[in-house]
Amino acid sequence: MSDAISFDVYEVFVQLEPMSAHQHQFNVLASSPEMALELGYENFCRRTGAVSLWVVKRDAIHKWTQDNFSGKERLAKTYRTTEDYKYLKDKWRHYRENPMTQEGPRNGRTAD
Amino acid sequence: MEPTDSLQYQQFMERINRGDRIEAEDWMPDDYRQQLIRLISMHGISEIMGALPEKEWVPKAPTLFRKLAIMAKVQDEMGHGQLLIRVAEDLMAPLGKNREDLMEDLFTGRLKFHNVFHMATPTWADAGVIGWLVDGAAIITQGMSLSCSYGPYARALARIVEEEGFHIQHGESICMELAEGTPVQRQMLQESLERWWPALLMFFGPPEGNQLSTHQQKNLDYKIRSKTNEELRQKFLTKYVPRIRSLGLVIPDPTLSQDPVTKVWQYAQPDWTLFRQIVNNQGPRSQARLGLRQMSYQEGQWVRRVLAMTTPAAV
Ligand SMILES: [Fe+2]
Ligand SMILES: [Fe+2]
Repeated sequence: MSDAISFDVYEVFVQLEPMSAHQHQFNVLASSPEMALELGYENFCRRTGAVSLWVVKRDAIHKWTQDNFSGKERLAKTYRTTEDYKYLKDKWRHYRENPMTQEGPRNGRTAD
Repeated sequence: MEPTDSLQYQQFMERINRGDRIEAEDWMPDDYRQQLIRLISMHGISEIMGALPEKEWVPKAPTLFRKLAIMAKVQDEMGHGQLLIRVAEDLMAPLGKNREDLMEDLFTGRLKFHNVFHMATPTWADAGVIGWLVDGAAIITQGMSLSCSYGPYARALARIVEEEGFHIQHGESICMELAEGTPVQRQMLQESLERWWPALLMFFGPPEGNQLSTHQQKNLDYKIRSKTNEELRQKFLTKYVPRIRSLGLVIPDPTLSQDPVTKVWQYAQPDWTLFRQIVNNQGPRSQARLGLRQMSYQEGQWVRRVLAMTTPAAV
């Protein structure tokens, strides 16, 4: 047949709770965004319900995958997490029990 | 096919052996793609053809509750088909093929669907046994495939397996009601089990013996699957034989036994010649169901055309 029917692929995102992020579910093949929304709802929300449903034409998604990340994660950047600051908890506990004077810590420096 | 000593191929195999998930646009060897298309298109089309035996019971379900529940299951199966056919289409795109080619292949007999969906469903007990034991068998295969190296298939299955959990309970509930019912109802259930038993054993495919087929070996090497047909069938027997017996049902195989030490089941082999006939569309209901699928595909053609006309102009 010469008049082959061509639809588009839409990626489907569902938000389940007002405070949750839209989560990617899967994709559907549809002739229009309206049809993609109908199919997305039927396929991915019929058990769970939803507070919001997004469909995005796959072509509109720009992406990075594993290859793009290589070389970007070489350094351990613990200062981006709270990893480096765990010692603070002990310090606070210590000074609650042994408050500093106006001159600073009572015995010079605290033991770490 | 790419030479297996090419750098790309070696890097691909490193990814497979590392347990990476391969994505649709990643480089993959041709035979990996072919194996996946073969497997996933057959699985997808089987979900769709698999809705037909149960669909026959929608108008005849015994209560409104049962009618609504079986309709929901039929809808789920069509949904599974939609997900899987999308996965297959993304794999077929570089070959210039789409779902229309899959439907064409189904009608010409090139694309097969699972043996169980060629069988007749003469009684309401068959609707129950399909949910309980056919979906039960399917979840054993699909559970294995959750670890498939191809990411989109594994993700589709994660959704599907969740819904299969509902299907099995839906089937159990029908079977339990019949098992607790009148002698006539119990008899209906027993006869249905007898009808389905060989088909259930066939579901996992012929036993490999010591020799894996080339397809099977490739699928294992590529981590598309991780167990053999026989391993899956043994799992099924271990899980379901005690349950079937606990309802006082008699499995139509006097030789069925489990080795107390090795735990391996001995069972009468189903007729594997008959299996080949069935999957080649010569089963009891093959032609009727293919006919129905083809008719609704043709009669729906104008709807797809009209929908295609509503496509907004390309941005
Ligand atoms: Fe299914
Ligand atoms: Fe199912």
